[in-house]
Amino acid sequence: MKTIKRALVLAPVVIAVGCVSFPDAETARSIGEQMVSEAYPGMPEALTRRAAQDPAQRICSKVGDAKLTPEEAAQVVQASSAAFKYPASNKLAGDWKVGAKLSADGGGMRIRDGQVEKSKENGALCVNCHALDPKDVNVGNVGPSLTGYGTQRGNSEAVVKYTYEKIYNAWAYFPCSNMPRLGHNGFLTPEQITHVVAYLIDPQSPVNKR
Amino acid sequence: MMLIVRSAVPALALLCLTAAPIAAQNKDDGLAIGRKMLADDNPGELWVERGKRLFFEKRGPKKASLEQCDLGVGPGRAEGAFARLPRYFPDTGKVQDLESRLLTCMVELQGFKREDIVKSRFGTLDRDSDMEALVSYVGSKSNGMKMNMPLADPKERDFYKAGEYLFFRRSGPLDFSCATCHTEDGKRVRLQELPNMTDPKQMQMVVSTGWPAYRGTQASVRTMQHRLYDCNWQMRQADLGYASDLSVALTSYLNHHANGGVVQLPGVRR
Repeated sequence: MKTIKRALVLAPVVIAVGCVSFPDAETARSIGEQMVSEAYPGMPEALTRRAAQDPAQRICSKVGDAKLTPEEAAQVVQASSAAFKYPASNKLAGDWKVGAKLSADGGGMRIRDGQVEKSKENGALCVNCHALDPKDVNVGNVGPSLTGYGTQRGNSEAVVKYTYEKIYNAWAYFPCSNMPRLGHNGFLTPEQITHVVAYLIDPQSPVNKR
Repeated sequence: MMLIVRSAVPALALLCLTAAPIAAQNKDDGLAIGRKMLADDNPGELWVERGKRLFFEKRGPKKASLEQCDLGVGPGRAEGAFARLPRYFPDTGKVQDLESRLLTCMVELQGFKREDIVKSRFGTLDRDSDMEALVSYVGSKSNGMKMNMPLADPKERDFYKAGEYLFFRRSGPLDFSCATCHTEDGKRVRLQELPNMTDPKQMQMVVSTGWPAYRGTQASVRTMQHRLYDCNWQMRQADLGYASDLSVALTSYLNHHANGGVVQLPGVRR
């Protein structure tokens, strides 16, 4: 019994030594990257390149509770803001009815058996994570509720521009936000984004009706 | 004295990894009630029975059973194997999860072609998957035991830490990592609940009573490899390699968070 007690008293020392033998962050990263490079056997380079990271994604991959430094946040914001693209028409609010359909569409670009899903256009995925139309209960909550978005903010030029840019590249305003950079990554076209903007801000849109 | 210290060290060394705060468990809801009703009469038992038959049947070009297959607790032993996986296997020099290890045994002992097993890894309505049945059987043989995945070998610690790195690694056209959806309590995509994988209690739901699970929407048992494949598909990545190191590393990271959870498999899922 005494020996057991002694072993337990000694245990913290042993634990500290045990913890040190885990690979450090840089080693874990290099093992992990090697695994990524071998994770998609038989897949064409055109598809596996999706798993490569751009500089902002690398910054936004903090492990655990690690926080962005102010410098890193500024770098992500700066790179994001510098790369906005707008539609040829320069009209940033389109047709809310088209936006309504897009917002509920969760498809596009998925890969099965090496084939990219066939669809006319990618969905905007909004409803997966956000409440929009107050009558729709089948909505996610990973992002904040956007019900009444236009009612609350109006539809001034500044609001329209902010909304467009936020959807185009959320990281320009919220560096490393969970929200995908839908325009920046080419998942949505600038024209598609204008329709989603209209769905959010148009007074006739269900988002702004009670 | 020496013996006591030796046996205490692996168990205690794990403590430094399980310090994540324990958050409140999900409240009971309609989906939970539905799962409970299904679990009372779990169709996954059919996969367990078939898996047991396949385990002991002489099969493959070498006409061998899996009674010489070492799943980490001795040749032919299925009891308690799942609760201690993934782990390092000196004969392959790899860290392997249950599926990766069964794949090794089916190729080495029974003479099956690796590519054939991989091709039929997920059952369809026309064709059952032997792997899904075997995983159900072996998983069920840890029922009542606590998850106790080891981190004794340096390679196991490499996989665990690489798995953690990969869990937080963002990529792809939607900038997703696992962490995007799985680090907060009470989140949903549409109405589908998302477990918070930094919470050991929720991870136990995913691992020790989670996968393999009978999935009502797919009318089949699905495995952890399938779960990861499907997430990877939603993330818009290419088809995730079956039993790839990446998939095993993620499983190491997740399973270790579930240590202490009492195994009850197969689970039941939507």
